[in-house]
Amino acid sequence: MGSRLVLARRTLGSLRSEKTIVLALVIQLFIAGFSSFLVVGLVSLYDPGSTEGAIEVDVGVTGNASGDIAATVADDGVRVVPFESQSDAGAAFQRGDVDALLHATTQPGGRTLVEATAPEGSFRTTLVVSELKSALSALERERRGTFAQRLDRQPLDLPPEERSNPYFSFTYTVLLPLLAFLPAFISGSVMADSLAEEAERGTLELLRVAPLSLRDVVDGKAIALVGLAPAQVALWLALLSYNGTAIANPLAVLALVAGVAAVLVAGGAALALRIGARREAQLLYSFVALGAFGAASLLPQSPQNLVARLAVDSATTLTWLTLAATLAAAGVSYAGLRWFAGGGED
Amino acid sequence: MKARNVARIARWETTRSAGDIDRETAVAFVVVLVALAAIVPALVTMGPTPGEGIYRVGVSEDSQYADVVASDAQLAAVDPGAEADVVVTETGITYRDTPKGRAALSTLRSATVSYNDFLMGQEPDQAAAFPVVVSLTYLPQSISVTGQPANGGQQTGGDTGTGGDAGTGGQEPQTGAGTGTGGDVPTTGGGLSGLLGQAQSGTPSSISPPFPLQSLVFAFAFLLPLNVVIQAYGSSVLAERINRRGEPMLVAPISRGDIVAGKTLPYLLGALALISVIAVATGAGALSVLAIAPLAALFLAATFFGAMLARSYKELTFVTVTVSVGLTAYAFVPAVFAEVHPIAAISPLTVVVDSITGDGVTAGQLVLSMVPPGLAAFVLFGLGTGVYREEDMFTQLPIPSKFLDALAAPLTSQWRAGLWTALFLPFVFVGELFAVAVLFVAPVSVSVPLLLGAVAVIEEIAKSVHVFAGFERGQYDRSVRNALVVGAASGVGFFLAEKLLLVTQLVGLPELDVAQAAFSPELLGASPGLLLVAPLALHVVTAAVSAVGAARSRLAYLGTLALAIVLHVAYNLAVVVVSLG
Repeated sequence: MGSRLVLARRTLGSLRSEKTIVLALVIQLFIAGFSSFLVVGLVSLYDPGSTEGAIEVDVGVTGNASGDIAATVADDGVRVVPFESQSDAGAAFQRGDVDALLHATTQPGGRTLVEATAPEGSFRTTLVVSELKSALSALERERRGTFAQRLDRQPLDLPPEERSNPYFSFTYTVLLPLLAFLPAFISGSVMADSLAEEAERGTLELLRVAPLSLRDVVDGKAIALVGLAPAQVALWLALLSYNGTAIANPLAVLALVAGVAAVLVAGGAALALRIGARREAQLLYSFVALGAFGAASLLPQSPQNLVARLAVDSATTLTWLTLAATLAAAGVSYAGLRWFAGGGED
Repeated sequence: MKARNVARIARWETTRSAGDIDRETAVAFVVVLVALAAIVPALVTMGPTPGEGIYRVGVSEDSQYADVVASDAQLAAVDPGAEADVVVTETGITYRDTPKGRAALSTLRSATVSYNDFLMGQEPDQAAAFPVVVSLTYLPQSISVTGQPANGGQQTGGDTGTGGDAGTGGQEPQTGAGTGTGGDVPTTGGGLSGLLGQAQSGTPSSISPPFPLQSLVFAFAFLLPLNVVIQAYGSSVLAERINRRGEPMLVAPISRGDIVAGKTLPYLLGALALISVIAVATGAGALSVLAIAPLAALFLAATFFGAMLARSYKELTFVTVTVSVGLTAYAFVPAVFAEVHPIAAISPLTVVVDSITGDGVTAGQLVLSMVPPGLAAFVLFGLGTGVYREEDMFTQLPIPSKFLDALAAPLTSQWRAGLWTALFLPFVFVGELFAVAVLFVAPVSVSVPLLLGAVAVIEEIAKSVHVFAGFERGQYDRSVRNALVVGAASGVGFFLAEKLLLVTQLVGLPELDVAQAAFSPELLGASPGLLLVAPLALHVVTAAVSAVGAARSRLAYLGTLALAIVLHVAYNLAVVVVSLG
């Protein structure tokens, strides 16, 4: 065991001296920041609430149903400006006095036709359209209410509207799984690199002259790399909870990451040992890992979903069973790798 | 460079790659690729939801809301008595006052809206079930996006203001800050046309704001194969450096340029072939392949340079990941705004998106998206080829020290410092464009000062880092006179090359306040002579300041670099203040 720990320390030491581990953390931070930037940027484009009422959408309203619209549409984000004629409204829109136009006419059957006009190619477009959409949905609900006797089924009452964090679901279902599985994937990749390089340089032979079996060499490197993945994830979990994102089952998440890392490291090592050339081994590893994640996504609870459920505290019995199965798969893959490294004996 | 040599090495690289793979590995590749091809359609049809069942709703089975919960994958029904985030009872709906409870409620609300639409769809009296029909059209307004008059393309005055008066205050774009409610705008229906911002009609819930989501997913597909190609390419380059394998080729009577070009050609062609296949599959035109080509070259160039610096495959893995993440961000972030803003023209992916949606691409857009990555690729290949030699390839040094070697190698005379400063301009350009793309959503009062700082840092580093390398590696004697000459050369080189930035004028970027601060902070009303002399003086002075430090020691270099950055920021601020009057 001692010699394996020495090897594990040396593997970590080489990662440290090459500063690659720093680079790895920077990359993960960048990816997290990048995806958050995209989502925060996009939500603020769409989401009227995120501007805190700073922006009011002025809607020019015309047509014979404009009274109905004025009554229901005017809420916190929308200000209704009635116009006598469509051409007046169109001119005001051109001047930029109003942000959108609604021309509403009631048909004989009771249906209201709304011709909506939104500005083209502007930042405000998305915001204006989502405001129009929520206003017209409110109008639709109100009109449905007045037609209640003509309907066989009645629409359900909507649950109350409550301010909620629009990024909540993204944080748990995208950001967290990304941060959890990226280190595991990189660990497997580095394992393949490390063994392929020893094989290509011929130093694997040297290591075997030392009182170490190939199995010990694999053990030593794997201890370091499998351990590194949950260590990085623990860092992210701590950072997230510091920022107010509660993580419900941190130990279970870390166990899952360690399990996935063990499977990937075993796969990377087996490929590198079998092929012995980095380019082929690394390419095959990427494809296999991609395929494995794809196949695992077809499970009743995908790995991504597993992390989300554990962290958000919505784990079911199946979640725990899948976690146990992952850990069992990790044990089996690793045992398989050791058997393979030992030349298929015992 | 001889075409015959290049072709021979390219052929050799291809046949060797194919010959290296034993039968078993080849079979494994085929099996894995077939498996991947089988998984993708399964994933598409099953469409797994990563957020499945993360919100628990307590609802009895006979309640109508049980159907609502069943209709949304994120919601999971539990017994009303069990632990839940939202509980639906006869009397009403209660929820836990936690972030999760509120998010669950909001999801339940939007699921109820979709469920109601589904319910109403079964009604015989459709006029009563869907009493509102909307047709949405988009019309241009005569005001431009930043609130400046549309004809004010070149004006610098009040609109650059940080105070946000008439020009910019009135139509302030939404900022990225702030949180709020209603983020989950349900996008039922809508379809492709809705996503692409074209006219649409239907019920209120079927309209959706314009956002090129689908095109962006397609555009992302263009970048994916590049990652596979650079992995293979990086391995191939680094393999030359292991056990001195590349030595026989180095002693052969061919130039380094031939070797590098020959080794790269198969991968570049492979990447272009993959991109063309994807272009055909996604319905993008030939123009999109042309637009992505320089980006593909930049992916390869950055990988090549990284592989020349890396000490081991492990290090190469991280270099490769950094390259792909960084360049993907550069291409992707601006393209998000493809439908709404001219800033998107920075990214080659915008050309792809426009090609898919059928919008036209102007020549200016094409130039802006292709030239910076193309030039940057050229320079990186140049730097990497500079260290493609015996003494650098087979030695093990930390990346920063190798990096200095690579920078110092071409500095054989003092004026060459100026040449290389000019050659670094594409990187300055790429960096500044990216900074603009990231910062432009922020309010002007925040983005302009931040950008002035970023610009100063990027430009000063570009003007001095190779000068520092030249002194460190003994290409230049460490004397103050030498430092002043080299610094002046570097400043002049930068000034001349900076005129390339005029290309931004082609797409109307200067209309954007932020872009104006980055690219043309010019004194208004000053004499034309001063307009030319002032920036030249600035660049020469700051470059000379940092060069004097570089000639002394690393610590002195860091100090003078900081001083040069401060000078640069002060100059830019002064320009902005003066032009404000």
